[in-house]
Amino acid sequence: MSRFFRAADDTDTESESEEEELLTSDEEEEEEVPQQVAKSKPTGMARFLRTGSGDEDSSSSSSEEEESDEDDDDEKGSETSDDEKTVVKSARDKRVEEMEACGKASDNALKVGDWNSVGNEFDKLGRLVERQKNLQEPVPTLFIRQLVNLDKSIANAAAKDKDSKKKMNAAAARALATLKQKVKRALKDNEEDVKAFNEDPNAFESMYQAAVAALAPAVKPIKVVKPPPEEGEEENDTFTTVGKAGKVYNFTATSVMKNLAAVHESRGRKNTDRVENITILQKLLEVAETPYSRISVLLALIAARFDYNTAVTAYMPVEMWLSTQKNVDELITVVASNPDYVVQEVVTVEYDPLEERTPQTENGPVLIRGSIISSLDRLDEEFTKSLQNIDPHGTEYVDRLKHSMGLYKTICCAQLYFVSKNHSDAIARAIMRRVEQIYSKPDAVVQALENGAVPALADLKLSATIPTLASCDSTKNLVHTLCVKLYNTDNSFLRTRAILCHIYHYAFHNEFYTARDMLFMSRLGDSIYNADVGTQVLYNRAVVQLGLCAFRIGLIKEAHSALHDIFATQRVKELLAQGMHQQKYGSTMSPEQERAERARQLPFHLHVNTELLEAAFLVSSMLVEIPLLASIDNEEAKRKAVSKPFRRLLDFADRQVFTGPPESTRDHIMQASKALQDGQWEKARDLILGIKIWSLMPEEKSVKEMLGRRIQEEGLRTYLFTNSAYYTTLSIPLLAATFSLPQKAVTSIISRMIWSDELSASLDYVPSTFDGAVSGEKLPVVIFHRVELTRLQQLAQTLSDKVNTLVENNEKALDAKLGGSDGARGGPWADGEKRVGGAGEGEGGRRERPSRGGRGGRGGSAGRGARFAQGLGNRMDGASTRRAQ
Amino acid sequence: MASQYDLTTKIIPYLDRHLVFPLLSFLSEHEIFPAEELIKAQYELATNTHMVDYIASLYQQIHPGEEFSAEFLKKREDAVATNARLSEETDPVMSVIQNPEVAQNLRQDKLQNFNYLKETFGVTPEQIIALYNMGQFQFSIGAYSAAADYLYHFRILYTQNDLLLSAQYGKLASEILSGEWDKALDELNKLKDFIESGLPLPTINAPATANTPGSAALTQLQARTWLMHWSLFVYFNAEDGRSALLETFLNSTYLNTMQTSCPWLLRYLAAASIISRKGTASASRTVRTSLQTIVKIIQAEQYQYSDPITTFLTDVYVDFDFEQAQKSLKDAETVLDSDFFLWEFKGEFLENARYVVSEAYCRIHQRIDIADLSARLNLSPTEGEKWIVNLIRDSDSRSTLAGDAKIDLEQNVISTSKPSVPVYQSIIEKTKGLAFRTQVLGAAMAKRASGDTTVDGEGVEKENVGGSGGKGRRGGGKPPPAAAAQS
Repeated sequence: MSRFFRAADDTDTESESEEEELLTSDEEEEEEVPQQVAKSKPTGMARFLRTGSGDEDSSSSSSEEEESDEDDDDEKGSETSDDEKTVVKSARDKRVEEMEACGKASDNALKVGDWNSVGNEFDKLGRLVERQKNLQEPVPTLFIRQLVNLDKSIANAAAKDKDSKKKMNAAAARALATLKQKVKRALKDNEEDVKAFNEDPNAFESMYQAAVAALAPAVKPIKVVKPPPEEGEEENDTFTTVGKAGKVYNFTATSVMKNLAAVHESRGRKNTDRVENITILQKLLEVAETPYSRISVLLALIAARFDYNTAVTAYMPVEMWLSTQKNVDELITVVASNPDYVVQEVVTVEYDPLEERTPQTENGPVLIRGSIISSLDRLDEEFTKSLQNIDPHGTEYVDRLKHSMGLYKTICCAQLYFVSKNHSDAIARAIMRRVEQIYSKPDAVVQALENGAVPALADLKLSATIPTLASCDSTKNLVHTLCVKLYNTDNSFLRTRAILCHIYHYAFHNEFYTARDMLFMSRLGDSIYNADVGTQVLYNRAVVQLGLCAFRIGLIKEAHSALHDIFATQRVKELLAQGMHQQKYGSTMSPEQERAERARQLPFHLHVNTELLEAAFLVSSMLVEIPLLASIDNEEAKRKAVSKPFRRLLDFADRQVFTGPPESTRDHIMQASKALQDGQWEKARDLILGIKIWSLMPEEKSVKEMLGRRIQEEGLRTYLFTNSAYYTTLSIPLLAATFSLPQKAVTSIISRMIWSDELSASLDYVPSTFDGAVSGEKLPVVIFHRVELTRLQQLAQTLSDKVNTLVENNEKALDAKLGGSDGARGGPWADGEKRVGGAGEGEGGRRERPSRGGRGGRGGSAGRGARFAQGLGNRMDGASTRRAQ
Repeated sequence: MASQYDLTTKIIPYLDRHLVFPLLSFLSEHEIFPAEELIKAQYELATNTHMVDYIASLYQQIHPGEEFSAEFLKKREDAVATNARLSEETDPVMSVIQNPEVAQNLRQDKLQNFNYLKETFGVTPEQIIALYNMGQFQFSIGAYSAAADYLYHFRILYTQNDLLLSAQYGKLASEILSGEWDKALDELNKLKDFIESGLPLPTINAPATANTPGSAALTQLQARTWLMHWSLFVYFNAEDGRSALLETFLNSTYLNTMQTSCPWLLRYLAAASIISRKGTASASRTVRTSLQTIVKIIQAEQYQYSDPITTFLTDVYVDFDFEQAQKSLKDAETVLDSDFFLWEFKGEFLENARYVVSEAYCRIHQRIDIADLSARLNLSPTEGEKWIVNLIRDSDSRSTLAGDAKIDLEQNVISTSKPSVPVYQSIIEKTKGLAFRTQVLGAAMAKRASGDTTVDGEGVEKENVGGSGGKGRRGGGKPPPAAAAQS
């Protein structure tokens, strides 16, 4: 390289590094004390002492200086403690020591001619120096000297090698070659230093020491020689010291931006002290005056706080979370009260982050890069994460839960702000967060949350309004209003989640029909498999809540069919994200899967009580299945007709040799089922009503009443089915008395059974034969026309059924093979599949309903287990990407 | 009572302005609502039309002795002027079209027709659109048959899609209002085909929803809802309209529409199915089994709609509470009286309702006391006896009463005996179709094997697919004709 070019190069790098200086000077101020400062870190001195011993000489003058500083410090220094000194010391010195160790090891290896380890040591050294550079510390002379030495040794070795090539083995030769390359490269990188060193090693050394001593902010010693004078003057003028942790910061309104830039610089780097950054930013926030600097600092501070935890699983400390929440609040307040500043994720205009910017009318509002909505998202996620990790049975959990109030307030404020700014995407996300906060909570809780949020909304003093509980009268309306807003967004992910929350909320408020219609009309059942796992869990929750809702209002059949699917999988807890997948034989989860699943778990307070769920499911199963079981007389048909989960339990109960008094909910229900089969409805009722878990339902009394009534009715039906073979007539008044039902109800039930051909019988009147009955009075009776099938006839029927199924299966198989479209699905409906917004006017979804009513509890149950969203565990990869949308 | 179950307010939003007039005048005749309010409503309704004379008469009824405002007089002049202008514009086209020679030369192909007219007579597209405008204007001044005429010609000649739907609606309304039920039925079917054809429908009054997801489905839903409401006029007036109504409304798409957007139409569905109960000999299977289906739907929709007519059906078929059914039937009578569409069918309805009750009653009971049954039917014992005898005599072979009910006058009871279906027969029923179905399978497989992969579009429509439900069409090949004939 010619002289000329080199010179050009020099100036270039110089200007560059000067810029760097500007950017990084603040940081150096944090770590290293400028000379002008009266008080200086003791670190410097200690290091000098040590390096002095390590290197052949050290500048005594600087160490003396440092000593005097030290004295100074001791005299003044009340706030600096010795502990902190050592802590700070070691970080720097360690690096230098490491380098020295490296150098020594390298020297030793060199002596022996072990090129391999020399190479390793050199690599290590290179890395250390790299780090040094990253930290804006001067490159120690040690390195340069090492470099020069190595260069020489290699040259020697190469020369020697030429003479006696055979001596060196292949590995060593290779190591030597690579080392040569590396050294060459390093030499080139540090060309100037090397040159300076070669010219006068001692001068270079002292220069380095000066650099360290002066702690002038420069990477390369060359620049250190002439420290920029203006900087010093400036700092002399404005310097204020804040002596926390023995460090001095320049916290004034004017230097805020500089400090901020320094923190930005260090973000994401290795070895950045995150706690320290946070403290610095907090200080900066105190002094920041202009809205622009406040916004910038707040954005940085919030980000820094979220950076605090590097591990994915660990959650943010509660205190930290609280202050983050406060910061987010503050950020919103600041941007809300300064409409000329806008925080945006994408800012096309380039701007200098250091420059203080003020709104200028012709340029529109000042755009600042950042994202409030992401902060909000993170805040909410961190909250959930902490709840996942806190033991739900302790008081800590409850205390933590109280913070949801603040979170809700923040969300509402953010929503209001976004509305006023008309950020459609952010509005939707904020609304979603809000809906997710309230959709599963009882009215009283929502009321409390809203009460907490409303004053804050008023404080923002924005002209826009958002729906609140007060403006919507009831939580139902509130959720409805919010969800309708979400239906109008373009984001299908949010739409799906919104409708599921909406359904859940309706079901929670016992509006079964509305919720059911929405579920059908949204046609989510068809597409839920393609959704991410979180949404699938939400879907399962909605369906389960719908089932519970049906149970509460006495729609037993509906409850049964809604809950059946999820119970058929036997993985209820997992599907609701309320418990981990149980490891079974053969199926193991990888640690990643397990971690992902753990992250998915719902916080305890959102859980649907699985025991209650099971009780509801089993009781409705009992009410649906027991009469059904009684109506079928051959064993084989029985096995087919009854749903598996219930059947399994019933069989298990049957096999028991001794049955003790019932203990668990399940025991209660199984014994009740058996009693119902035997026609002892009173016993069955007592057993069912004795289950304690019902007290968890708000409508306990009416539910119990309903259950009692249903048990009477189903008891009657079971009795008729079981005993019709043994009677020719049965007196209706007697039946009514046995089952404590009004005669009219009995007649109605029997009539329905006759009409639907369940019971081959008819009603009639016979002259009363009771004593004391008024003669001529007629007694209503049921007359059974039962035809006993012979064995042959039975077999023939079974055979014909089987042949039918066979043909049907064949047809299905062929259809699948030929790819023939299923006529029922085609036609003009193909376009009607999509969910329609608003109240969900998509009509297509209704198709299932008439047939549903007709099938009753039985036909539909078989094979529908597959309809449940079970894609947990094995779908995580796709899900995580989709979630990011 | 009558106003409680009045559906007028629910139906009106789905009707054209002009179609509402008959409804309102019916209401004023029956004095369900205060007459004054009704006249006011009629006036409000009319002000946006061009039926100036009608408006004038209404105005005088409301404000007797007052002068018409200047605005109104201007409107009148405007109307006259528009009429003159439009007829001037349309005259050339009309004269061309009415030329018998032209009529002969017109073909099926619209484009060709239009080109023919353009080349021969210099008819411009603007003139065709003028036809539409004229039709619309004629309609708005109440000259419905003239409107129908204009729209008819417009439809023949107009080649684009956008105004066609509107013209269709206009034509249908004109036919309805001029009482041409046969033509209206025709129009109705055309409109139905148009809606179901899956063509993009021009949005009628919902531009806001145009770009939201699923807007196509929404428009279709709207169109169907309108169609259903308008069709009531036709179905309850045209001959044999009730069974046509059942056919249409029981179509799953229309059932869904009804359940989604207009559950009140269940009343008409229920009533139609009861009314057409007796004359079902010629009707198709869907109509015959309609009652069962309808009861299920009524049950499913109970939470959002019920009136005495639907309650009557649930009383009979769900609760088997005949006393309650009797009460509901009485209520239903009053409802029928005040219903614009149904009042003419009151007698038929009651007759058939009785039939429904007695059938259910007889099927459940083995011996029936005639006096008791008569009471259930709101009839006197002698009347009841006569009625029942007729019932048994007339009942056709499908009925449960056929042949196995006897009247025992000594005890004054009817006794029914229900022979249970022999096992042999049920097994034969079950296995009947199997051979044919298997053959179809075999044929499809053979076709596949021979390398003919194109699935035959016709498919094989199967009558009896078994319980799986909803699977009407299978993509199998055609069966060999001989085999099909044999089985």
